[in-house]
Amino acid sequence: MPFFDLAWLIPLLPLAAFVLITLVPAIGRSRKASYTTAIALLAISTVIAWGVLFQAVSGDGFPTTPEPAELVHEKVHFEGFGTFYARSFAWAPDSLSLSDQSGTFNIGYRLDAPVALMLAMVTLAALCIHIFSVGYMAHDEFPAGQQRQSRFFSYIALFTASMLGMTLADNLLLFFICWELMGLCSFLLIGFWYFKPSAREAAKKAFITTRIGDVGMMLGILYIYNASGSLTFGTAPGQIFNPEFLTAIGAAPSLISGMTVASAMALLLFMGTVGKSAQFPLHVWLPDAMEGPTPVSALIHAATMVAAGVFLVVRTYPIFAVSGILPVVAFIGAFTALFAALIAVAQYDIKRILAFSTLSQLGFMVAALGIGAWVAALFHLLTHAFFKALLFLGSGSVIHGMEATVGHDPEKAQDIRNMGAIRKFMPVTFLTYIAGYLALAGIFPFAGFWSKDEIVADALKESHYVVYGVLTAAAFLTAFYMTRQIMVVFFGKFRGYEPRPNDTDHSEAVAVAAHGHDDHADHGHHAHTAHDPHESPRSMTGPLIVLALFATLAGFANAGMLNIHWLSEFLNQKAPEFNPTAPLIATVTALLGIFLGYLVYRNAFARATDRDPLARALGAAGK
Amino acid sequence: MVGSVPIAWVLTLAAALFCIGLFGALSRRNTVGILMGIELMLNSVNINLVAFWRYLQPTGTVGLVFAIFTITVAAAEVAVGLAMVIAVYRARLTINADEVDTLRG
Repeated sequence: MPFFDLAWLIPLLPLAAFVLITLVPAIGRSRKASYTTAIALLAISTVIAWGVLFQAVSGDGFPTTPEPAELVHEKVHFEGFGTFYARSFAWAPDSLSLSDQSGTFNIGYRLDAPVALMLAMVTLAALCIHIFSVGYMAHDEFPAGQQRQSRFFSYIALFTASMLGMTLADNLLLFFICWELMGLCSFLLIGFWYFKPSAREAAKKAFITTRIGDVGMMLGILYIYNASGSLTFGTAPGQIFNPEFLTAIGAAPSLISGMTVASAMALLLFMGTVGKSAQFPLHVWLPDAMEGPTPVSALIHAATMVAAGVFLVVRTYPIFAVSGILPVVAFIGAFTALFAALIAVAQYDIKRILAFSTLSQLGFMVAALGIGAWVAALFHLLTHAFFKALLFLGSGSVIHGMEATVGHDPEKAQDIRNMGAIRKFMPVTFLTYIAGYLALAGIFPFAGFWSKDEIVADALKESHYVVYGVLTAAAFLTAFYMTRQIMVVFFGKFRGYEPRPNDTDHSEAVAVAAHGHDDHADHGHHAHTAHDPHESPRSMTGPLIVLALFATLAGFANAGMLNIHWLSEFLNQKAPEFNPTAPLIATVTALLGIFLGYLVYRNAFARATDRDPLARALGAAGK
Repeated sequence: MVGSVPIAWVLTLAAALFCIGLFGALSRRNTVGILMGIELMLNSVNINLVAFWRYLQPTGTVGLVFAIFTITVAAAEVAVGLAMVIAVYRARLTINADEVDTLRG
């Protein structure tokens, strides 16, 4: 099958789903027709994306070999994107060549190893999340009783289309257009329950905060266009990764003294990453974005959209490599990793814990890019997408089950202090969640172990001791807060029959309860009924199982310890030498975190109103 | 310019956008919706101006200046329009154009 030639369909099919649901009344009016359209078209995309990956793997890469380009700069070992396959068409007259009217601005797609991997990951995660949404959103009703799920599925289809389009884009302009479309979808989906004031505020906050970064990114793109007359990825003359062009911008001073043109460009582009991937100081929007429905949190704020920021740096890495600002990138990433992990320890909302964990893991990836560990960053991006989507969907499943007991009040249903012993009620969710937990904590042989380990090992090998120390501390905290979550949610005694009173007694909760995102007739409509939490339907546990398989096994793509360097080779990079010190320290750190978490939170909450043991120990400071 | 998207396609897009905007402005009863329709029409005109500039007169700047002028006017119009909508909403708790008809003769 000529999958390479079909790749343009990958983003266009979900886009077609969006158009069909929005414009064809016969589909848009029916909930079932909407999700069938969205899932069927995305399934075809998924098949094509995996076909592309398999064709690339079996056929020894992509047909076109790039012009030779040495991109090794000081300590950064980046050897180009390898073979590729590109198709484009002339879109508009090129406005830079006013005298020569033959120039055109081309847009199209470009397939290479990182893109093929991203496409496979995004389509699979998005497909799982689409299917999960069918069950999760099944009982979502608008206050006036209209169904709005068609709109939900059209939004997530548009979102998936823009993420895939961004991944495939062969130039920065198309990349930026899709990037902004994702920002729009993020706004629409966070504010999906717009009758909640908190959701409205969160949507606005996310949109405006990321926009700050995007302005920088747009300036960076204009700067690059001004300097090179092109925005096309590639090493050929006239394209933005052309070695001569890179050497020139790496040496040319910019208007700010002491800064080369390349540094200015890279810093501006990096602003986009800071906004989209929620790095300090623009991290503030991500935790609030949890106001959206849980599948949205999984799709956008864990698996794909926030990964777009990291992918931007992955994609434009040649510019970063010559810019000399990589230490800044490493510092921001490492700081975010530690800082977010610290906050996660003190959260009680099951989704907010995962949100801060996402921040922290994105910090790992950005730090990895900053120390030159390009493969490790991409590897962690892929494995993290699987296990974080799994954890978010698992938390959605838990919330869905909790609502049977505590009613449809998010503040009660998402508070881990109201949970406990969930493993007895929801065995499938529990087992899959454990797979995600072990992957995130970095326990052998789950996916997170291999990818996170590769980042810290690279930091140690390249003697970035500060980054190494900070990331190790963050990894310790990761194991600790995840153990806390597991112990409090799944073990102990079930405390949901007498949930905590809400901290803020606002009348809004009543409206939300009446709306109820899953208003089961058989659950009873009142809070405080004595129903037990129940396992979720198969449409929700199925995606969990698929994602759990990937969270468990995906790490073997690049298992340095077992001498498997498939991913490095596929990405055309040198595999790092294996050094047993780093994985040993990482494992000890993770186990220590888990052990401490177990000690502190084994029986931490007997009643839902108990205080957190850490807060008790810290006294007034822990308040 | 060989092979790039022909100007007719760009003009078709602008025409389609104009029709959508016109339909919105005429059929909507919500004042914000009417404003959005007007904005769409203005933007379709901008696309026309820029396309004609780019394809027919790329060495001149008239088309660009016109487009920027339109954008500026549109921004001012939206500022005034939205301010009026907010003022009407505060006074009457509705922005439905059919209900705000005190001045009708």
